[in-house]
Amino acid sequence: MNDRTRKELIWMVGVLAILIGAAIGNVMYISTHNQNLAQNVNSNPSYPSNATIIKVDATQWSWAFVYSNGSETVNVLNVTVNKPVVLVVTSLKGAQSFAVIHDLSIPKLDVQVYAIPGQNNSLSFTPTVVGSYYFECVEYCGLDHYEMRGILNVVA
Amino acid sequence: MFSFASLFSLSSLGLTGTNLSLLYISIILGVIAIVLFYFYFRVIPAKEYLHEQAEAAGYDRPNEYVREKLADKPRELSWRIFLYDDSKSIGLRYLFTSILFLFIAGSFGVLMRVSLTEPNPTIIGPAQYNVLMTEHATLMIYMFALGAALGLGLYLLPSHLKLKKDTMGVYTSMAYWIWLAGGIFILISRAALRWYFYPPLSLELTQSGGGEFAWLAVLGLELIFIGLMIVSVAIIKVIAFDRSPDIKLNQMSLFTWSILFTVIMAISSAPPLMVGLGMMFYDYFNPIFFITGTNTLLFTILFWFWGHPIVYMAIIPYFGLIYEILPRFTGNKVYSYNSGVWGLGLLLILSELVWGHHLLNSGLGIAWITFFTTMSFLVVIPSAITVFNFIGTLWTAKSIRMTVPMLFVINGIIDFIIGGITGVMQSFAPFNEQVHGTYWVTGHFHFIFIGITMGISFAAFYMLFPTFTGGRKYNVSLARWHFALTAFGSYLMAFSWSVGGFLGMPRAVAGYFGFFQGYQDASIIGGVIIGIGQIIFLYNIAVSWLKAPSTSPDNAFEEDNTGGGRAPSLSGGK
Repeated sequence: MNDRTRKELIWMVGVLAILIGAAIGNVMYISTHNQNLAQNVNSNPSYPSNATIIKVDATQWSWAFVYSNGSETVNVLNVTVNKPVVLVVTSLKGAQSFAVIHDLSIPKLDVQVYAIPGQNNSLSFTPTVVGSYYFECVEYCGLDHYEMRGILNVVA
Repeated sequence: MFSFASLFSLSSLGLTGTNLSLLYISIILGVIAIVLFYFYFRVIPAKEYLHEQAEAAGYDRPNEYVREKLADKPRELSWRIFLYDDSKSIGLRYLFTSILFLFIAGSFGVLMRVSLTEPNPTIIGPAQYNVLMTEHATLMIYMFALGAALGLGLYLLPSHLKLKKDTMGVYTSMAYWIWLAGGIFILISRAALRWYFYPPLSLELTQSGGGEFAWLAVLGLELIFIGLMIVSVAIIKVIAFDRSPDIKLNQMSLFTWSILFTVIMAISSAPPLMVGLGMMFYDYFNPIFFITGTNTLLFTILFWFWGHPIVYMAIIPYFGLIYEILPRFTGNKVYSYNSGVWGLGLLLILSELVWGHHLLNSGLGIAWITFFTTMSFLVVIPSAITVFNFIGTLWTAKSIRMTVPMLFVINGIIDFIIGGITGVMQSFAPFNEQVHGTYWVTGHFHFIFIGITMGISFAAFYMLFPTFTGGRKYNVSLARWHFALTAFGSYLMAFSWSVGGFLGMPRAVAGYFGFFQGYQDASIIGGVIIGIGQIIFLYNIAVSWLKAPSTSPDNAFEEDNTGGGRAPSLSGGK
């Protein structure tokens, strides 16, 4: 083995060690946190039993949140601190518009889930700090895509 | 005509009035184009023109004439490239068309930047912004990145392979025209679909949906694919069968390998999307495939099966070019030829297995997320091999000549390292949840596309400039300014996007939350600086072209290919 090949091997072993370490960390996260990742409701994901279930309907171009008591807010989401929330997200047809693909993202809370027509996606998260966070649609969905955004209020 | 019109008015297209007359005009124009094509290919056949040239030069066979009089000679840009059907002429067509589209799509990019000065759309409304966004992305990828790669491949392969004959000319020429027609269709379609073309949005033919003429973009994309398939098969045939017997597989230049891997990738990943686009086009008449039920996600899967390999196809040929450029300015060989080939080959295989990471949050399942995030970590291995090879070549060089192409190459390598790291970070499922769909992603791939795809194209262009122009020199200090502005502007733009995206600034939006304005403004300054750099480039090219020839028109990528021996990449520069 010449000098060049040896140097290349050392480099490769170093890169592989970092990558494999990272990949294992990632798989461990997925296996322990899969309730925090977007899943199709049909695959029966398991969620905490005390979770608040909120139905999220995306239309062109607003987010409607339907709470378990039947009340509805548009582009504003209100949740209680330290209480797990399950979002069930889908995309609906408007009066004049199509049901298209949207993507709800709450960056500061690490929440992201696609709104797919004809499919219910769900995930759960637990807000731990009281305050206001922004959320937005991050999948391009037509003319006023940029206005499809709002505020998440975490109250005590 | 009658039945056709009723077919359209019955469909969800809802064409009436002006739009219907536009449709008739386009059908008439299409018929005229077909007639002109017939004349171009049959009545004034390029072959005949070449035949006459060959006879005038005393050759019986055009092939022989091409081989002895044209193949090894520097080929400059002239109108004749549209009549010659040899690989080099078609290469020049692809290359200069792609540069034209680079400037069209690039100016769209600068317009998009400028329209984001305020949190709410001011200069350009959201409807125009969405069109600009779609055209910028689609034209840059399909017309510029692919076109320049194919152009340089067709232009340089004949001498890298010492071709004995050049027989696929008519097909490649046809592929060029089909590809160009596809690009023009997309340009005039004013579709607002982003380059994903996701249904049901693409089926919503209204101003507020995918654009009234979105179907034209679907047709255009299908045409681009047809052209791409034809030229890919022709290139594989040239490399596999027309190569000189002197050149064994393990002696092919690294650039040839990179082009070979690129076209294999195109052929192996485009067909699913070609079928998908066909189904989508059917949906305009009778929506049965993608508009309802669980099939909506099907198109996104078909799209990303192609959509991820295409971004690698936009960089692999340029890696090949870096391998060609480095030895010419460092005076030593490529650090390791074998790992160069293996690095690019592994990139081909692994990059076809990571496409699912574009759909991690769409509810396709935990197994999906686990597999594609893990594969996304592994795809770094070949990139790491390649970068190590570049750095090894530079490290072991006795001296490095900092010419303009070399500046672009070194900047490209640094850009690729930054863009690569910000890219692989997204393989972490939780991090992906945070930054997917934000400017983080835009920053990641603009680092790579501006540094590698655009930068290395410019490096190759500068190296070939004397050849294109019959021995003219470009102004070096203007070229340095072009480099400096492009590099600085792209860092500023992509870096402020990355920071903003990390905080959740969404991409593909015509307006934004006011608190992101700082990041947007910084990236606007960066984008405008890049634009100024390109104006300097155009000025430099125009002024230099008007001067008298003052240097040898020899092709800088060919000078080492005549001596025989190992691959050109390994024989080093002068």
